[in-house]
Amino acid sequence: MNSVALKISRAHLIRFASPWTNFCTKRFNSSSVNSRQAFLEPLECQAGITCLSLNRPQSKNAISTTLLKELIQCLDTAQFDKSIRVLILRSSTTGSFCAGADLIERRSMSQVQVARFLSDLRVALGKLETLPMPTIAAIDGPALGGGLELGLACDLRIAGRNVTKIGLPETALGIIPGAGGTQRATRLVGPARAKDLIFTARMLSATEALEWGLVDYISSPESDAFERAVQLASQIRNNAPLALRAAKQAISRSEDLALEPGLDFERASYETLLSTQDRMEALVAFKEKRRPVFKGE
Amino acid sequence: MKKAEADPLAQAYLHKVNSHPGVYCIALNRPKSKNAISVQLLKDLRAALNQAISEKLLNVLIFYSSTPGAFCSGADLIERKSMTDAQVREFLSNIREIFNFIDDLPFPTIAAIDGPALGGGLELALTCDFRIAASDVTKMSFPEVRLGIIPGAGGTQRAPRLIGMSKAKELIFTGRNLTARDAQDLGLVDYVAGSSSTAFERALELAKEMSSSAPLALRAAKSAMSRSLDTPLITALNHERTCYESLLDTKDRLEALVAFREKRRPVFVGE
Repeated sequence: MNSVALKISRAHLIRFASPWTNFCTKRFNSSSVNSRQAFLEPLECQAGITCLSLNRPQSKNAISTTLLKELIQCLDTAQFDKSIRVLILRSSTTGSFCAGADLIERRSMSQVQVARFLSDLRVALGKLETLPMPTIAAIDGPALGGGLELGLACDLRIAGRNVTKIGLPETALGIIPGAGGTQRATRLVGPARAKDLIFTARMLSATEALEWGLVDYISSPESDAFERAVQLASQIRNNAPLALRAAKQAISRSEDLALEPGLDFERASYETLLSTQDRMEALVAFKEKRRPVFKGE
Repeated sequence: MKKAEADPLAQAYLHKVNSHPGVYCIALNRPKSKNAISVQLLKDLRAALNQAISEKLLNVLIFYSSTPGAFCSGADLIERKSMTDAQVREFLSNIREIFNFIDDLPFPTIAAIDGPALGGGLELALTCDFRIAASDVTKMSFPEVRLGIIPGAGGTQRAPRLIGMSKAKELIFTGRNLTARDAQDLGLVDYVAGSSSTAFERALELAKEMSSSAPLALRAAKSAMSRSLDTPLITALNHERTCYESLLDTKDRLEALVAFREKRRPVFVGE
């Protein structure tokens, strides 16, 4: 499609698309135009929401060394981009999320290369987990092994209703989840279910994953995980950006701290907000009975 | 049924429930602001709590609103606007200390939520062992992030411990409102009162089920359980043993064995 035709059809859609979010979720900037295997793209109609798109359609976004490298670049950029209030991790193409490590590539890798890959992947997921802004994984296709581990490193997970392959199948491949799955799954769903998932290597449907608490929402029948993720993100992105970051920090650390030190940490996180303009704006807005306008300052 | 024993003008006060031996209540009493937490309310709450721990016959404590259709609408934002940063810090320090105090109370505590529980109000409910909401409650939330702050009275720590990390993040990041049923589904609330009952009435029922247990045993059980999730299993099991041992010499334990043999209800004296 040339750019003029694209502009015209976009205008057409702006006028006639309803609801508004349907336009938002059309994947215009996707794979055909972009040769990168992972890239950041802000949502046009919802300021503050940015997508981190995985873009290896031919392999259902299996994690190759290139994808991993580009993922890390995106994460490093996102870390310092103050305009991102919520990040959605998703596939650039429909019907996918991330099918796990690229096993075809893996066959030709030496042990040293595999060790290096795992180390880099662990670092990448650590970066993802500690991004300062809330993150949502939009799982519209198979999320297996490293792919599910990617989702587990996000704050929240949404699965498309028709997704049937969510799991950690590593033990069926003679290995174990190597990118945090044994730790993050256990923290999320408890030891019994994590053991069930990993020992059996089975695949959960979206509904089962929801019941287990592995995902937080599934999309409605006429919609997909990405659209549901945008909806959730829009409930978050209107809130004070610095407060969101402080809240994430305090909550995320709560698991690793006993209550007293956790409360100390909460206190320290709150402290960073006392001198912000946004806090004052909120109090003024409350008195004037209007919505606050946050600037992230 | 209820009899106010303390100054009814106080913004929070302790009283017995005469019809339910062993059951006491702390009433939140700022009707005009749906019991928003002011500097004064914190002071009165602290005094009420100090009274509570010196009541030997107190088995169960219920937190509720003195006026119907309310619980606690969070920190008083009108008062907050005129506070200096230093005063805000002091407020936060006080509220955290008081809420920790409630969390550490040796006897079971129940929050009876008959109206909005927002921000600090919801955090208050989280410090209790149990939460009961009336079926018509429609406003439970953590709105702090919508106000440029974060839950500052333990919400970021107690919510994940209660309902899990993901759900806690969702509630705190979105600031969204929950109805009583939503809250129950999430595990934020333990019971929803029937449509013809208030949360306070349902709380009295629950309290009654507990207040007939041996008082010292209740306290030992709570002590054994409260921090158990924060400590490694071995340490927690040792603590359980210590708690049990503290009951071996009690009159109430022997009374219970005698009563069992005599096929009658035990009469506990809390010794």
